[in-house]
Amino acid sequence: MKYAWVGCLLFGGVLFASPQDSESNVNARYTVETVILSGKGWTADLQSETTDKISSGLRHQLVAIIGQKLNPAVLDSLGQSLKKELRAREVTHRIARGTSPEHVRVEFEVKPARGSVGMSVTQFVYDSKQGWSGSGEASFSLAQNTFAFGLVSDGDWLPERYAGISARYENRRLGTDRVSLRFQFESYHEQWNTATITDLAAHPKTTSDLYRSRQDFEPTATISLARPLTLMVGARIERFESEVPAAPTAASNAVITTLRYHRRVEGSDTQQDLDADASLHAATNLLDSDFVYAMRSAGIRYQLRHGKHVVMDNAWAGILSGRAPLCDRFSLGNTYYLRGWNKYEIDPLGGNRAVHNSVEYHYGAFQIFYDTGAVWDEGQPAVPRHSLGVGIRESALSLAVAFPIRSGHVEPIVMMGILP
Amino acid sequence: MASLAAPLFPAWGADSLGVTYDGDNLHVSAADLHFVTGKTLQRLKDGAEVAYVAQLTLFYDRFVTPFKRKETRFLVSYDIWGEDKFAVTMPGPSPLSAKDLSAPGMEAWCLGNVWITAAGIRADREFWLQFEMVSGSPKELSRVLGDSGISVDLIDLFSRLPASDNRLTLQAGPLRLADLTRTPGRGRNG
Repeated sequence: MKYAWVGCLLFGGVLFASPQDSESNVNARYTVETVILSGKGWTADLQSETTDKISSGLRHQLVAIIGQKLNPAVLDSLGQSLKKELRAREVTHRIARGTSPEHVRVEFEVKPARGSVGMSVTQFVYDSKQGWSGSGEASFSLAQNTFAFGLVSDGDWLPERYAGISARYENRRLGTDRVSLRFQFESYHEQWNTATITDLAAHPKTTSDLYRSRQDFEPTATISLARPLTLMVGARIERFESEVPAAPTAASNAVITTLRYHRRVEGSDTQQDLDADASLHAATNLLDSDFVYAMRSAGIRYQLRHGKHVVMDNAWAGILSGRAPLCDRFSLGNTYYLRGWNKYEIDPLGGNRAVHNSVEYHYGAFQIFYDTGAVWDEGQPAVPRHSLGVGIRESALSLAVAFPIRSGHVEPIVMMGILP
Repeated sequence: MASLAAPLFPAWGADSLGVTYDGDNLHVSAADLHFVTGKTLQRLKDGAEVAYVAQLTLFYDRFVTPFKRKETRFLVSYDIWGEDKFAVTMPGPSPLSAKDLSAPGMEAWCLGNVWITAAGIRADREFWLQFEMVSGSPKELSRVLGDSGISVDLIDLFSRLPASDNRLTLQAGPLRLADLTRTPGRGRNG
């Protein structure tokens, strides 16, 4: 008997799941007026506003049903896509009367996951001059709280190769959606390039002495001032253990602040993103810092996407006054700035002045870029450098060959891996 | 009428099952049966479509060995722009449907389309009748079945459906065609 019952339900299920669903729902005759997304503390009416909660691709799919006849099967599919993309515990939808007769509102409600565990590789790159660099972290999220523990070995970003651990706690909603809190701790051991050691011996007062390890503690709060504008304020407390065993530990304690702006404009077949930021790091004796310096930097990034075509420009400049430790000086000639150049050849100690611009064009996975920039110390002449590169990039996976533009021999640098 | 009528899962309010005979087919009625209630009603008012599967089973013994069975499926939706109006469709090669029904009207329409042939049953032979009904979203029903293949039994199936107000089993018997209330029909078996 039970088999027969199951059989009839199975047959019924096949029928129920058929395309006639949308025809049998009496509301399929009504037109979708708008689509509203809501989650814990946020709502977005997709007819009149954009949201950065979801990808532009999924947003296009949701907006596409506005003005069309209601199709319940499509709503189920979109709900599943939202659940997957937002890693939500559940996404439900309901239909309500619109403001015009015979029109309906579709409302998706996103219920966030209670807890999640994840592991991610945040960077894994090979540079034929700097070697391998990689970082990854394991994270645990519970409601708005995230705990993360990471491992890093990086010879790409700074004038030093550093390896060690990081730990992070983040509260993405401190009482209100406008404020988030973050505590980060890092502990690294350093390795120094011969060029850096030699250059530091020749210019000992330029920056800190070499150190064999450093620990950073960085508590910060990010406040959403207005919808596209956020302000990050906090502190960076660093300790440096000297290469000389008996030497005292040096401290660099700074107040840090960054103002960020992000705006996305979406047309029918184009998407434009504008990002800008300005930062100030100030280390003073008042904070019991052995290093006294002020670092100011600003950047602007523009991206235009049209189908498979993407054009980007990324401009950035920084000024450092005072004496900052090696890890806080500007460095170009890595997988992000002046690609194709060797940072130890340009300036093995880094500089206290830097300016850089990068223009990129992507067609699908194919990419071509042109970098130009200079890094120097105050009072010295700035030497502009240029590089060209081609490669393929699919999501975070990248393989590129970059050529420094200079007289004499051409020595390309190969870069590949997972880039942020 | 039935000499015994017992609800096993009385979540939809019915506690008795009436059985009538039109000369060809057996029909059921339950005065207090309201299966559009609670969470199911809320889902309907949120624009979702709800599937109902009704099954009638006949036994020559006390609900052990079935000899005849018929299932009927309904897809119910609530008109967002109507005044508490429902629409119902019986899917199939020749679908039947009705619109602008009140909740009691829609329930009556569904129950009126639940029947099973009495062909082959002698007028004086005792038999038992079981009426079962289950509801869920069309996908829920197919997913529950898809998870476990055919080894799931009815109780297990019910327990795995998400809503608590989505099941009903009513039983009646022993019955004899000769004793049942006659309703208009061809009277071939009478």
